[in-house]
Amino acid sequence: MEKKTMYMGATIAVIGIMVLAAVMAGWVGNTGSNNNSDNGTGSTIILRTTGATFPQYQVQKWIDTYQKSNPNVKIEYEGGGSGHGQDAFMQGLSEIGRTDPPVSESTWSKFEDTGDMPLQFPEVVGAVVISYNIPGVGDIKLSQDALVGIFIGDIEYWDGAKITGQNPGINLPHEKIIVVHRSDSSGTTAIFTTYLSVINSTWDKQVGAGKTVQWPTDDMGRGLGGKGNPGVVSTLKQTDYSICYTELSFAIEESLPTAYLENADGNYTEPTDSSIQAAVAGVSSNIPPPDKGYSENLKQLLNAQGNDSYPIVAFTHMLVWKNIDGKHYTHDDVTAIKDFMKWVLTDGQKPENLAPGYVGLPEDVANIGLSAINQIQG
Amino acid sequence: MSKFDIRKIKEKLFLVTVAALAILAVFPLFHIVFTVFYEGISTIMATGPTFITGTLGEGGIGPAIVGTLMLTLLSSIIGIPIALAVGIYAYEYPNSRIGKITTTLLQIMLEFPTILVGLFVMQLIVIPMGSYSVIAGALALAIIMMPYVAVYTAESMSQIPFTFREAAFGLGVNRAKSVFMIIAPIAKRGILTGLLISTAKVAGETAPLLFTAGGLYQSYPHSFTQPVGSISLLIYTLVQSPSIADHQMAWGAALVLMVIFLAVFIPIRMSLKEVKL
Amino acid sequence: MKIRKPDLFQIITYPAVIIVFAIFISMLITFLIKSLPAFDMYGFNLYAKNVWIAAENPDNEKYGILAAIWGSIYTSIIAVGVALPLSIGYSIFVVDYAPKKVKNVLIILSDVMAGLPTIIYGVWAVFFLVPALKDNIMTPLYDTFSFIPLFSEPSISGFSIMSAGILLSIMVAPFASAIIRESYQMIPFKYKEAAFSLGLTRYETTKLLFGYIKPAVYSGMILAFGRAIGETVAVSLVVGNAFNLTANMLAPGYTISSLIANQFGNAFIYGHMTSVLYASGLFLFVIGLGVNLLGIYKLRRWRKNVEI
Repeated sequence: MEKKTMYMGATIAVIGIMVLAAVMAGWVGNTGSNNNSDNGTGSTIILRTTGATFPQYQVQKWIDTYQKSNPNVKIEYEGGGSGHGQDAFMQGLSEIGRTDPPVSESTWSKFEDTGDMPLQFPEVVGAVVISYNIPGVGDIKLSQDALVGIFIGDIEYWDGAKITGQNPGINLPHEKIIVVHRSDSSGTTAIFTTYLSVINSTWDKQVGAGKTVQWPTDDMGRGLGGKGNPGVVSTLKQTDYSICYTELSFAIEESLPTAYLENADGNYTEPTDSSIQAAVAGVSSNIPPPDKGYSENLKQLLNAQGNDSYPIVAFTHMLVWKNIDGKHYTHDDVTAIKDFMKWVLTDGQKPENLAPGYVGLPEDVANIGLSAINQIQG
Repeated sequence: MSKFDIRKIKEKLFLVTVAALAILAVFPLFHIVFTVFYEGISTIMATGPTFITGTLGEGGIGPAIVGTLMLTLLSSIIGIPIALAVGIYAYEYPNSRIGKITTTLLQIMLEFPTILVGLFVMQLIVIPMGSYSVIAGALALAIIMMPYVAVYTAESMSQIPFTFREAAFGLGVNRAKSVFMIIAPIAKRGILTGLLISTAKVAGETAPLLFTAGGLYQSYPHSFTQPVGSISLLIYTLVQSPSIADHQMAWGAALVLMVIFLAVFIPIRMSLKEVKL
Repeated sequence: MKIRKPDLFQIITYPAVIIVFAIFISMLITFLIKSLPAFDMYGFNLYAKNVWIAAENPDNEKYGILAAIWGSIYTSIIAVGVALPLSIGYSIFVVDYAPKKVKNVLIILSDVMAGLPTIIYGVWAVFFLVPALKDNIMTPLYDTFSFIPLFSEPSISGFSIMSAGILLSIMVAPFASAIIRESYQMIPFKYKEAAFSLGLTRYETTKLLFGYIKPAVYSGMILAFGRAIGETVAVSLVVGNAFNLTANMLAPGYTISSLIANQFGNAFIYGHMTSVLYASGLFLFVIGLGVNLLGIYKLRRWRKNVEI
């Protein structure tokens, strides 16, 4: 081909693409704005929910199902971790925030500084599980000591005595244990490290609990960071002899083995719907009203009593604004948000709408969320 | 005699080493193009045309494609006029103090870490507006694009023989006219090339969009003040997922991005001799 | 005194020049102002310590980004170290040996590599390069050379400083190549002629001539270093993202740009993290500025000398 023709061709192609983009953007924009002036009927509302990846599969399933019966509402799922969820929610970059641990009092007051009132309520129950990638090995049991020992770095090899003691029939290799943890500010990390602090005072003193902590194994060259639960699981899968903590649904979706953990009664339980439900039933959960979300106690479901209770269970939460003086949402937004959340807390809790690895809320807890919805103004 | 032989062997060895290094330097490109094509095409074939037109829920990356095009278009509209003027200025005053500083500044901005531009634009636009937006993303891209366009413009104009200027002045044409109406049109080929290459470059950028564009994949973007997705951002998210389905989608999206880039870049590149990147 | 009325040329171009300067200066000021609280809080330790404790009680927050600074520099040095022989070999081959058609193709390929979206390098690296490096390079290196501190621990997952360095070397080699090749081409033919007439072989001639363009090679290295240190997404996908201050290149690490990409999205809920990340950005800003100025200055001075 002659160079000049080619050159012309490229120019025309680019201009063509650009014009197409402009036309498409204009066209979509026009239909959007035309519909908006039609007083809501048939207009498309775009909502965004950002944050915790702990409930990722659940939220995505809710969105898919909900959008099918409500084609005029499009809900954009964004991950990024509980920290990002609180951050984006605070800045108004996302309509519905998601966080696993209850928002802390200091962050809550930052929310209130915006002049609006945040509302927080549990959306679903999930469990943090311990997954591992040891070729050819499954069904391992971890005592509380072994679990802390692995994550604090004291137990260096998979065939350490504290691990093999509980797993007599299993041939554990003499390989270094690689700890995969979150690199972002994460609710899953907060739940897991809070649990470790509850069961072990050394952990509590040396490392502590929070959405991010300094992993002792990083300094030993045996720590790896992954972004979000997806990042952690994908790192685990690529790394032999590694161990991680993640939400049960990720283990199910990716067919990862999960460890049996020692619970408060000294029994070893596998994370299943029934062992999670046992943990929820074992405590009378005490959820504060939605406008006092910061006072919720993350520890209440952790290390729950009961023969069959799985020890690391937690509520994961949604954040929404009360919308005082229409500060955050338009009238159409509010209608859509209320309808979606109401659906999540009622129909969404039915078994057919729950994703594997999650357990529906007890009714009295769901009612707290419903009371929050009624407070949204506009 | 034996000394000559050693020199001859050295000479042969040298040629082999140099050729091997040259091949090694460009070999990754073949591997990348082949892998992206091979992995991407199977995804696209499996999903069919929906992959290009559908939303993420339907298994497609349509909104991301439109988002990339909108961002590229708007960043060009913002960046190109300013960059052209700056490039012409740099051409006109190559030896003045401000002219020299301008040229240096352009070259620094050319090499600038793009994530910092994203942070800056977030502070400037996203936080005050309270929303990610096409405008914020496009502004970040425009800042990245400007130095490329300006440098190309200045260089291609400086290649026009000075006799044209002399002829223009001889006819009594003023400076603005001689630069804008005579020199710039003669250099238009080089300038256009710069524009297209810069456009292709920003269409594939990811880092500056991380905190400015936000992402929108369930519905098509319909407003310049609302969040928007892009192919590159979508790939960045999908790659970090553990699910095989997401990885396949990432390959498919990478193929689309690569085709857009190569379709613009290669014809232009082949039509001219030298390129400054 | 009569003030000269600005002509049309000035009316059109001056505002644009002012805008570009304003953008650059306001960026610098934004990063400076936003960094101040972090400097107040942590002082120089911010750049000299390796600690990352994000706590919701601001009194307990502690940050020191030394590991990220180290990772940025380490990965970029590997990148330049690997890219340099590649780009020198490439330049010699293209200028001295390749037939005209091959030469054009090689130059175009290199330019395509320089412009290819970095996220495509990222996808390829995550799924191909990192596993391949782990199996074929890193594991043998550890098995054979584990007594050297650089390879003292086996690679865990392949995601490591070395992976990031090698990926960066592939990405920056085209930039270094372009500068070295252009300079090599600029050497007046008479020098080559003189060398040949002395009976030197091509190898000896090239060795001689490369002494002549040394400054250009240095500036190519410096500019490639500047590119490498600023690269974000591809690196953050392969570097491992662990706060790890180690000489072992098979271990995971962090880079400044990767730190910003990963943490900025959740920084605002913490008291000091936003400012710390701006201070990290400022560090990158200053390093980038310094490195690029040096590279540009060296290259310009050399070109001027050649032209005379």
